[in-house]
Amino acid sequence: MKRAPRVRGLGFLSAWGRGTAALPDDARVAAAGRRVLSLGRLEREGERFRRATREGLLALTAVELALDDAGAGRDAIAGPETALIYVTAGAYAASNRRFIEGRGGSIRFAETAPAVVPAEVSIELGVAGPYAIFIGGAPATLRAIWHGALLLDAGVCERALVLAVEIFEECADLVARMGRRTGIPLVEAASCLWIEPGTGTLRIESAGRGVPSSAIHRRLGETLCCEPLAALDLWRRRGAAGPVELTGRWRGECARLVWTDPLPRERAA
Amino acid sequence: MTAERIAIDGAGVVTPIGQDLDAFWSALVTGTSGISAIERFPVADLRVGRGGEIKKLARVTAGRPPRCRATQLLVSAAEELRARSNLDSLDPARVAVVLGTALGGVEEGEQALAEDARPKRLRSALYDAPAHGLSRRLGCRGAVITVSTACASGATALAVGADLLRSGEVDAVVAGGYDILCRFVMRGFNALRALTRDEIRPFDRRRSGLLLGEAAALVLLRRSSDVAAPQLGSLLGYGSASDAFHISAPDPEGRGLERATRTALAQAGVTGGEIDFVSAHGTATPLNDRVETAALKRVLEERAQAIPVNSIKASLGHTMGAAAVLEALMCLLASRHGLIPPTLNLEEPDSGCDLDYVQGSARATRPRLSLSTSLGFGGCNAALVLEGVA
Repeated sequence: MKRAPRVRGLGFLSAWGRGTAALPDDARVAAAGRRVLSLGRLEREGERFRRATREGLLALTAVELALDDAGAGRDAIAGPETALIYVTAGAYAASNRRFIEGRGGSIRFAETAPAVVPAEVSIELGVAGPYAIFIGGAPATLRAIWHGALLLDAGVCERALVLAVEIFEECADLVARMGRRTGIPLVEAASCLWIEPGTGTLRIESAGRGVPSSAIHRRLGETLCCEPLAALDLWRRRGAAGPVELTGRWRGECARLVWTDPLPRERAA
Repeated sequence: MTAERIAIDGAGVVTPIGQDLDAFWSALVTGTSGISAIERFPVADLRVGRGGEIKKLARVTAGRPPRCRATQLLVSAAEELRARSNLDSLDPARVAVVLGTALGGVEEGEQALAEDARPKRLRSALYDAPAHGLSRRLGCRGAVITVSTACASGATALAVGADLLRSGEVDAVVAGGYDILCRFVMRGFNALRALTRDEIRPFDRRRSGLLLGEAAALVLLRRSSDVAAPQLGSLLGYGSASDAFHISAPDPEGRGLERATRTALAQAGVTGGEIDFVSAHGTATPLNDRVETAALKRVLEERAQAIPVNSIKASLGHTMGAAAVLEALMCLLASRHGLIPPTLNLEEPDSGCDLDYVQGSARATRPRLSLSTSLGFGGCNAALVLEGVA
């Protein structure tokens, strides 16, 4: 990769509130015994959204928060020059379960596909560029950032959106059966990172099993694929300069992304 | 923006028409159909209960067979890949696994909800579970990546695998796609009324829908600079684009497919006019085949009607995550054997589908450069440009 991207905008919302400023100091304490913290359904006006999935609506809100963060309107990302790369470990599970159990009769089969979430965004905002969907936890998000950077570096698009969504409420009982006993609550979240061509460097590596949990895990709770974007947001809000290292663990696999100069000069300052 | 070519240096497949590469190819060129009544799970309540079902897995896997059928198919395909390639001689730490799927391990979730929600079964229900299962079986220690761009997933997996090699992160990638037939997907496509009660007839005026199939297809990707002569050929280019149009229907203008195809050609450093053969997505739904034909005509321009086009979905059913990988392999085998398999059941081309479809019997010609197209739910479009070896 000749040139790494820079961050143009980053939107984040979680069951703690909008932005990473809403995060508590300790998710376990703040959850007060709740295992799952839900974001609920972010309703929108319009017939098209009546049947939209909850995760699709969260995705749309995350992209709009990224636009707000960048001080840009919808037109800025419409068209074929914007790539959309979606990540989730299990946001599709809710729709899959509803379809399997035959509940919520209105759910259409197509909406069980992970692809429906970025499709809501692309249809509503006219994002028509390159496209990918990574399935997995935090390492998949690092892969998605890397993929977006490669697309920018190749000149295939002018900007890329990395969109991460996780929901848990509908499958909370199943997660409990899976024997999860960490005490860290499952926290629903959605985040969107907008990147454009920059001047730094970006390196991704499989990191064996030695990568520690992200330092924000304790504050954020378990958000799976959303965690690296929360970590990036917290890092930039600290006004840090220089390289940022993002890490992720999932299913025994660890990955590390080392990114120099991810912020535009004026914002880093 | 021409990209470094990537060698395809071995493959393994499990399909309804053959459970190794040779059987798969023979069935394609002889026009064998893998469509039959589904027997593995109940379908009596469904409008359509036929598909490309693998009746019995021929290869006995080493060790305890996985319970998850998707992983079974992958492990079986991987056994052929190991036998046909030097995968086992490579440093496992430098080998990644990248798989595409539309459904992942959803049947495990289906069974868990119907029977016993055992923790292991629930974990297997996640879409990335089969990729991790395969990686463990193979002993690979590089990245394990699952992509799920619906029915274009296989193409995305090959592209992401190629990127891992170009970046130098690994030296080899086991890349591919898979999906199985299960009640979940049969109920879903029945509900969409996308399945035909007739034969699958791509590009035919009587076409009335698709049938599904199950398969796994794996390839070994290497950097071309690391391989003296690739066994099967090379991946030259990839492109993707979103329709931004509809959740389940393709853009009637095919603009996303056109953009994806143009990007793939540009990455390959070739023009549409240089393409020798097109493996179309060709699902045999009324809309897909017309949209695809129109998009191909725009991209291939004046040579559009001189370039042979086929669809192998009538032979296999639509194998979803495996489809693009099987179609890429078919392109490379066409180069090797100097034959293009026919589009089964295409007898009377639709007036809106006016390309040079290969119909009736295999056509004797040796394509060097092939284009393979894929479309999926959510408006996912993908295209691959491949170069075969004679």
